[in-house]
Amino acid sequence: MFSIWLGAYNQGLAYAGLALGVYLTLRVLNFADITVDGSFALGGGMAAVLITNGLNPALALLAAVLSGALAGCVTALIHTRLGVNDLFAGILTSTGLYSITLRLMGRSNIPLINLDLGLDPLPDMGSGGDGDWAIALSLVVIGLVGLLALLLATDLGLALRALGNNPTMARANAVSGAAGLTLGIAIANGFVALAGALVAYYQGFADVTMGFGSLILGLGAVIVGESVCRPRSIPMALFAVVIGSILFRFMIALALQVGLEPVDLKLVTALLLLAALALGRLRLPGLANAGKRL
Amino acid sequence: MSLQIEGLCWGHSQPGGSWRQLFKDFKLECPPAQFLVLIGSNGSGKSTLLNLIAGSLTLQAGSLRLNSRPLQHLKDYRRARWIGRVMQNPLDGTAPGLTIAENLRLAESRRRSPFRWQGLLGIRPNKLDVLRFQELLESLEVPLADRINTPVGQLSGGQRQTISLVMATLAEPELLLLDEHTAALDPKAEARVMQLTERLVRQLRTTTLMVTHSLEQALNHGDRLLMLHEGSVRGDWSGAEKADLSHTNLRELYGSAKVS
Repeated sequence: MFSIWLGAYNQGLAYAGLALGVYLTLRVLNFADITVDGSFALGGGMAAVLITNGLNPALALLAAVLSGALAGCVTALIHTRLGVNDLFAGILTSTGLYSITLRLMGRSNIPLINLDLGLDPLPDMGSGGDGDWAIALSLVVIGLVGLLALLLATDLGLALRALGNNPTMARANAVSGAAGLTLGIAIANGFVALAGALVAYYQGFADVTMGFGSLILGLGAVIVGESVCRPRSIPMALFAVVIGSILFRFMIALALQVGLEPVDLKLVTALLLLAALALGRLRLPGLANAGKRL
Repeated sequence: MSLQIEGLCWGHSQPGGSWRQLFKDFKLECPPAQFLVLIGSNGSGKSTLLNLIAGSLTLQAGSLRLNSRPLQHLKDYRRARWIGRVMQNPLDGTAPGLTIAENLRLAESRRRSPFRWQGLLGIRPNKLDVLRFQELLESLEVPLADRINTPVGQLSGGQRQTISLVMATLAEPELLLLDEHTAALDPKAEARVMQLTERLVRQLRTTTLMVTHSLEQALNHGDRLLMLHEGSVRGDWSGAEKADLSHTNLRELYGSAKVS
């Protein structure tokens, strides 16, 4: 029984990068970025291909981040240079990325069995591999939250936040909208691709379809986290998003526990998100503030 | 000359497809530290002129120089390094989700692009920045120093416009553009914002262009008064000439501008 929840905790952490990326685009930059559906799978596929070709898993993660950032740049350029609406720009990139990821992987699924991630030196928590994963993923996610919190606290982060908050004001204060969006969306998709790679590592395979519905998953984590934690500062909001990602996985694990089949998971995900959105809108005590912008 | 506009041309297509040439070979020069007030009826080109200078609209011909630096080929956000701007709508000038200190910090650092590696150095605004901004607000007698960490979205329109004005004057602007910046305010807030405007403009000796519909403001503020009509100068008063103007004169001129 415990292992189910530990597994859900690990999944929540593996998906946390996705939630942080969605937070950065949607909440900070006010940009609905569907590129994440493509860059999540791209990250997983890229890491899987590189590992099966003998590259160190850590370097493969780095390559996944860079590929995601590149995908983000493409969307940002389509949006800023060609004036294509944010949703369409993201859909264009993620559609194209499906073929690119498939080409890169050479087949639709790459198994990652007997993968040596160097987790052995970690203390054994008596729950097998999942214990090691819990420690490793917790450390990675704390690092990611710290990195993003620091970034958003600098002059550069201030410019990105201003840009999402009021583009007119940002331009009048010498912030280039094109540069800001490009940088922000690239960083966000780097986070998302990292999550894709971590999920592939954790579940033991990369699949070209693993990115479908990523935006909704990330959005769900952001909304659940904000509803539950009601953060008052940026670092707290980032932690809330991670907690949201874990809670979201708990809810899915619960749904599976009560007898729902894996086929119904996407529907359950959509309904959970809908419920979270509705609760935020209804402003029930304790669950209000979901629509609050930081 | 601080601001130098020569041969400026700008027009736009109207509903129905006809072309309206608003500015034709328009010329304007402002010496350093001049406080110029622009008046004119709706559609006379006051706000358009400010938008052309700030870069929100693009010149179709002519040249635009600020302290002999050509501006016409620079994007609006590049020009913002030297141009402080307060817009008519209090919602336009500040980021509502950012605190007063964060808004001020963004304005203060606008001489340099945030998208350089130096933009990653240090947490901003830090404690020293916040103290400095509090002192600044206190010295300007703006009673918001104790709310420095409040999101600007929680302030009233007048308070937001006050913060916009302080932001526009940070980072030593070479030109200040005020586009009916008190139009959305109640009389009390208007008086306070105008008092602060006068004080900042005189203290910093920044060349200033202020658009207004208030004849009161036109008569009581500024070194020079310019009346625009259909994109050309209908009246240009400064010094004793401006001092001699009265409400009646101006209203008559407004009237004749409307019928012609």
